[in-house]
Amino acid sequence: MAAMPLEGVRIADFTWVVAGPVATRILADHGAQVIKIERRIPGYFGPRKNGHQADLNRNKLSVAINMGDPRGVELARRIVRLSDIVTDNFSARVMRNWGMDYATLSALKPDIICMSMSGLGHTGPRSGYVSYGPTLQALTGFTRLMTDPDGRPAGYGYSYSDMAGGVSGALAALAALWHRRRTGRGQFIDLSQLEALTSVVGPGLLDIAVNGREQPEVDYRAQETPAAPHGVYRCMPRPEHDGRINDDRWIAIAVRTQAEWTRFVMAIGSPAWASDSRFATLFLRMRNKEALDDHVARWAAEQNSEAAMELLQRARVAAGIVANGADVCARDPQLNFRQFWRPVPLPDGSVTHVTGIPFELSSTPGSIRTNAPFVGENNEYVLGELLGIGAAERAALEANQVVWAPD
Amino acid sequence: MSDDRQPADGALAGLRVLDLSDHRTQMCARLFADMGADVIKIEPPGGDEARRLGPFVADEPHPDRSLFFWYYNLNKRSLTLNLETARGREIMTALAASADVVIESFGPGGGAAYGLDWPTLHRINPALILCSITSFGQDGPWRDYVADDTVLTALSGMMYVNGFPGRPPVRPLGLQAGHGSSHYGAIAIMLALHARDRDGVGQWIDLSMHASTAGMLEHVPGSYFQNGISEPRRGSLHWSRFFRVGKCRDGYLMHCMLADWTSLIEWVNSDGAAQDLTDDAWNAYAYRAANAEHVFDVLDEWVRDKPREEILERAQLLRQPYASVRRPEELFDDEHLIDRGYFVEVEHPELGRSFRYPGAPYKFSGTPWRVYRRPPIVGEHTAEILRDDLGLEADELAILAAEGVI
Repeated sequence: MAAMPLEGVRIADFTWVVAGPVATRILADHGAQVIKIERRIPGYFGPRKNGHQADLNRNKLSVAINMGDPRGVELARRIVRLSDIVTDNFSARVMRNWGMDYATLSALKPDIICMSMSGLGHTGPRSGYVSYGPTLQALTGFTRLMTDPDGRPAGYGYSYSDMAGGVSGALAALAALWHRRRTGRGQFIDLSQLEALTSVVGPGLLDIAVNGREQPEVDYRAQETPAAPHGVYRCMPRPEHDGRINDDRWIAIAVRTQAEWTRFVMAIGSPAWASDSRFATLFLRMRNKEALDDHVARWAAEQNSEAAMELLQRARVAAGIVANGADVCARDPQLNFRQFWRPVPLPDGSVTHVTGIPFELSSTPGSIRTNAPFVGENNEYVLGELLGIGAAERAALEANQVVWAPD
Repeated sequence: MSDDRQPADGALAGLRVLDLSDHRTQMCARLFADMGADVIKIEPPGGDEARRLGPFVADEPHPDRSLFFWYYNLNKRSLTLNLETARGREIMTALAASADVVIESFGPGGGAAYGLDWPTLHRINPALILCSITSFGQDGPWRDYVADDTVLTALSGMMYVNGFPGRPPVRPLGLQAGHGSSHYGAIAIMLALHARDRDGVGQWIDLSMHASTAGMLEHVPGSYFQNGISEPRRGSLHWSRFFRVGKCRDGYLMHCMLADWTSLIEWVNSDGAAQDLTDDAWNAYAYRAANAEHVFDVLDEWVRDKPREEILERAQLLRQPYASVRRPEELFDDEHLIDRGYFVEVEHPELGRSFRYPGAPYKFSGTPWRVYRRPPIVGEHTAEILRDDLGLEADELAILAAEGVI
């Protein structure tokens, strides 16, 4: 097997929370050596080698440096001199206050790539504002337009903004690295998570800009997804392993073409209502959506969600269960076949799983090699081996709280 | 592989990408075009199916007025080619022979009918990278299943956690299975390009939209693998329990109790609305998190009769990260985005107008993201590409057009 694409690339990673760690985990999965430079925040984010933190930080190294101490900053700068990329996702002032901004670091290492993934960017009247995924989703329209059918805003149940910012950051870093390999020049990337998220709102933005149209709440009638039936329909309750009755089972269906409609009708047993002239064409089905949805909902209510999905997929109709955590993480035959969730070892010798890699490179695939490090777990490697600091000096740094001992 | 018509100032200048992806993942190649790569959208004569999707300029359906197409095809060139003809496939092969990247979404193994399968492409151009985007991947029990964005966000776990308990799950705004997959596709291609720099050969990327969307979850896998919990829908309460939507007199806002608690409660209390939140027990972070619903209920009552702007301005002074729950229309009036030059004006000379487009998702200091050209009209660059790249003469082009090849 050939080496992974980013072997030999080193990243000094100051990112935390989610967006930044998502970007650097993608780079770490493909061979980059990602060194998290971090402080201890006891208990704040949950256990380090299980669940969310394992998911975000597998394959990375950790060194615990006190950036509040000038000697800590000097250590971090020494790591930067040996690195290709420096990443952070603080608001704009933090790296500057440490003397770790692009102007300073590029003087130390002229071809360094610095990527700052702040909430609102490094310029502009609100560059100093603190923001989080939920506030960015509120500002961009996701929260307001993702409503319950009764109109109440719900939005994403999680920080999709961090995921969107994370993949944008990984791509930006790879592009800058590509450019550097051709020209020898580094640069500064000012990634505003607000802007990265706005850029994935979709064609509705042009409908606003060009047609001046107020965007409707999300439903299943958008011109960009013409289909009917189209929506989620509640299925029959299902007994779970623990005996509990789960009545939160749903199927998503999208019938787009006339051929699909014909196959859909046959698959569900050619009920009389399906030959109603109000449902004869896609145009009519979309226009008479409520009446159509009533019929489909009554059909779905009698179905087991998985069985209905199989039935419709055998008829080549787009359909899928609305998968919950267990469905997607444990019971999805496709993700399991492709071994999407990857095993990592827990400290007690057992195994847990983390998000894998959604694509397969035929000759240089990425890999999940190690679980997330405890904070400071790699102090000895980073300070000793990389920076060449002897054991006595390392002990002094610890004693002086410039470096924190591993958790 | 360089193209001297493309200004060599983008980070990816000099790369040639052939885009044969369907309407779901056309953003993938656009990410390259925005960074200076020469991206050619290969369309059937008459235009890509994405051009039939709305919304349209002034609601007039027309292949060159689809805003759906515009959004995903800014900065690309367009070449029409009928891959159902032998000559069309020959031209495709000739273009692939000198390209860096081909992106296709014909379905598992589907490119073979057009000579766009991996063994064929690899033989004619060993340096080429082929990115095959499918709903579920090239193999596995669901490989031939069909899906649109709704079904993909449902199956991947993205939809289940959005919405209110006991109510229907809520679909994302925008085609997020497509957007996430497009980004993962672009990342995969960049990785393959880096490997090619070292190894000298291209490779085949098998990208699953289903897995890509599952790769855009945040808390769902962690909760399941750590605690065996399927994360529920919680309405607008964020899973961290620090954020929930509240309703003011004149609109919605996002409450946040992640910043300094004391100053937040002093403020609420100065309005006489803190109720029991002044009790000492609430000073403990864990107690607040455990009883977040009560905290937000009190805060909701506090803001109910107030104007939203008043709350937001004061929150900013106190460094409380409150936010307006806006409609996307308001983005275009956002002074911060305007100051940063986020929106860009794109000339559409054929319509005699220019329009504001969303701009750079990242600002590169040395190789800025920028607009090179408006989205192409159908086949706008067919002649120039075939002439410049393949040396076809005007009379040959006329014959190809007459035969329905281009």
